Amino acid sequence: MNDLLPNLIAFVLLLAITAYSTAGGADFGAGIWDLLAGNSEQGREARRLIDHAMAPVWEVNNVWLVLAIVLCWTGFPPLFEATFASLYPLFALALVGLVLRGAFFAFRHVADDPRAHRAADLVFGLSSVLTPFFFAASLGAIASGRVGSASVLEASFNPMSIAFGLVSVATTAFTGASFLVGDARRYGATELVDYFSRRALTAAVALIAVGTAALITIGLEAPDLLKSMLAGAGLPFALTTMVLTPVVAFLLWRGIFRWYRVLTVAAVGSLVFAWGFAQSPYLLPGKLTIAQAIAPPASQALLLGIAVAVVVLVVPSMGLLYYLDQRSTLEPPEA
Amino acid sequence: MVLTRMTSTLWLAGESALLPSRIQMAFTLATHVLLVPMGVALPSLTLLMEGIGLARKDPVALKIARRWSVVMAVQFAVGAVTGTVLSFEFGILWPRLMGRFGSALGMGFAIEGLAFFLEAIFIGIYLYGWERLRPRTHFLLGLALPPAGVLGTASVLAANAFMNTPAGVTITNGRVTNVNVWAALLTPAEGYEFWHFLIALYMTAGFVVASVYAVAWLRGRRDHYQRLAFAIPFTVAAALTPVQLLVGDLSARALVQDQPAKFAAVELTWKTRDHNPEVIGGLIDPSGAVHLGISIPSLDSLLVGYSANAVVPGLTSFAADARPSIVEANLAHLAFDVMVGLGSAGALLALWYFWVLLRRRRLPDSAWFYRLAALAGVGCYVAVEAGWVTTEVGRQPWIVYNLMRVADAVTTAPASFVWTMLAALVVVYALIAYFFISLLMRLAARWKRDDAIGPSAPEEGAPYGPRPAFRRAGP
Repeated sequence: MNDLLPNLIAFVLLLAITAYSTAGGADFGAGIWDLLAGNSEQGREARRLIDHAMAPVWEVNNVWLVLAIVLCWTGFPPLFEATFASLYPLFALALVGLVLRGAFFAFRHVADDPRAHRAADLVFGLSSVLTPFFFAASLGAIASGRVGSASVLEASFNPMSIAFGLVSVATTAFTGASFLVGDARRYGATELVDYFSRRALTAAVALIAVGTAALITIGLEAPDLLKSMLAGAGLPFALTTMVLTPVVAFLLWRGIFRWYRVLTVAAVGSLVFAWGFAQSPYLLPGKLTIAQAIAPPASQALLLGIAVAVVVLVVPSMGLLYYLDQRSTLEPPEA
Repeated sequence: MVLTRMTSTLWLAGESALLPSRIQMAFTLATHVLLVPMGVALPSLTLLMEGIGLARKDPVALKIARRWSVVMAVQFAVGAVTGTVLSFEFGILWPRLMGRFGSALGMGFAIEGLAFFLEAIFIGIYLYGWERLRPRTHFLLGLALPPAGVLGTASVLAANAFMNTPAGVTITNGRVTNVNVWAALLTPAEGYEFWHFLIALYMTAGFVVASVYAVAWLRGRRDHYQRLAFAIPFTVAAALTPVQLLVGDLSARALVQDQPAKFAAVELTWKTRDHNPEVIGGLIDPSGAVHLGISIPSLDSLLVGYSANAVVPGLTSFAADARPSIVEANLAHLAFDVMVGLGSAGALLALWYFWVLLRRRRLPDSAWFYRLAALAGVGCYVAVEAGWVTTEVGRQPWIVYNLMRVADAVTTAPASFVWTMLAALVVVYALIAYFFISLLMRLAARWKRDDAIGPSAPEEGAPYGPRPAFRRAGP
């Protein structure tokens, strides 16, 4: 019973990471497809849709990241200190990527010169790949058990961190394409529906391949974690991901445009949960548990209050924004 | 011998990341603080203008409000980026600060996370809701923005106030083992820091927005649009200026008790004494002598204790390694003087404005008034920076006053890493500033053209505003 509140706060932290992985992931994924859309001529239609779909919600997505950070340092100060002291190269790279991405997303709306515009597309696209890679790499580094015991370089760059990074790139590409199918349908752009369905399918295949490779890496590097993922608390979530990813791919392949976005979110969310639950009760495997790192009770109570406020205030208003966005109420009256 | 010692100090300075970390934090905070006034206070001014437009059925007021909302959104997006950078810097540059005090210091930031969330969502709804929601609904949804901004300001300042006057924590073996939520959030400094900064934000937003239309006046524009867009924000800012003088005075007075070393630095007081003079300008040297500057006998004692016999704390009453260095004391002192000087100048300008407004029942029509009003915006930004330098530099060498030194909080990363990151951030921030300013100039030029020729949606060409419906290009 004593562990209830600390576990709840760890769960809220996991939820914030999951929300960023799915909502932010859809955003990064759109950036990845922007990068792969070809030269200015070929990619024009796809890029216009990406811009159009992203603008209203992209910075709201980023707030999940800030929320995860403040939950971490307030709820689990020793985790925050150890992680940043060990993995600062990864966070610095992700941060620079994030800032470049925001800057150049804005800049490409301003650039008149076609070459400047092309350069802006390129920086935006590349930072959309690198930012999720480095963020997820930090989770992989944590899962590898090297935080605090290995050198900074080895803790940051090892098979586990790279495997997690690659999985996140495939995941964001998958989420991005799946949501862009929805946007293309909403705007009645038939060719783009096909275009992004094919890409979602490709990304799903890539995700299954990279995911399998990542599981093998985890098995070699952190066998205990693999055991919990496949025979412990992580199992239901790992199974959900393994089942839902092909299901989404199948739906989009057959052109059945129902449930595919919800199932995409469920597949990606379960992937994050599979890691989080498999690793619990450890925040840093073998070194730091939730009970050891948790802040004093008063801080826990405050964080719980904030979590409740997020549910009561933020979720409905966010729902309103997404509703207005998805309903196209935010679009000008059709001419 | 001296040479060897100097080289070894330099070499050590090269090893620790303390210097580049302090520079990076100062650089990124100084940038972010410039974006805060418009993020927190511009929504209120915009809503005020929209409210006037709705109440008086004035399409010009609505047009102004809609244009301001575009600036507000673009600037909020930039502020969101620079704010995210700051939150990561707490981990990258100062991991031990959060490791030790995160459970107390972090609470303010956690509340701010919630406020930031609400702001981001409602700015989106507000911006995209023009003409797509009913006018009343649009206005009412916008009313969520000012309280979210105030909550965010209060909570971030709670974190800063904790660093200045820590309270509400029990420390056992270097670890915070118990936290009293209210005592740690509402530390003594929160009371004055919050009001002082909140008023500064509204003053700055008002004077900055008004300065744009003061320039328009100087260029010969005299229509309803210019008058309205100048008068509303300027009135708000001018009305707050005398209040700020009062709150600022109370804040400075509170320092004597709460943060005496900072007060000694701000006043360049070397030895604790009565009949302490007030030094305006001037620099202190390592022997405690003050050069240049104007010294008014006994005034500091009078200001602090309403009596020339009032005793004022001096720098030497603190150990040399527990008080600001000579350079830091001079910096805090000069920054304080700049802030007070600019605030007083603003109060005189406000006096002029209200004198004309109340006596003649019209706006001033003196070119000199508008020249000064045009400068008031920049003046406010300088004053905000100066105030921030005063409080942060004046707290040195502590990151949490009397509990943790800056040097004990800094990362173990090599200095070269932090220098590299700093260089990257400087380049990216310069790019962002360039994009941001060229975007604002573009919007201004287009709006001017629209006013001369004919209308288009104010948001056209802005990266975050509503866009024309998605239609396929070409035939």
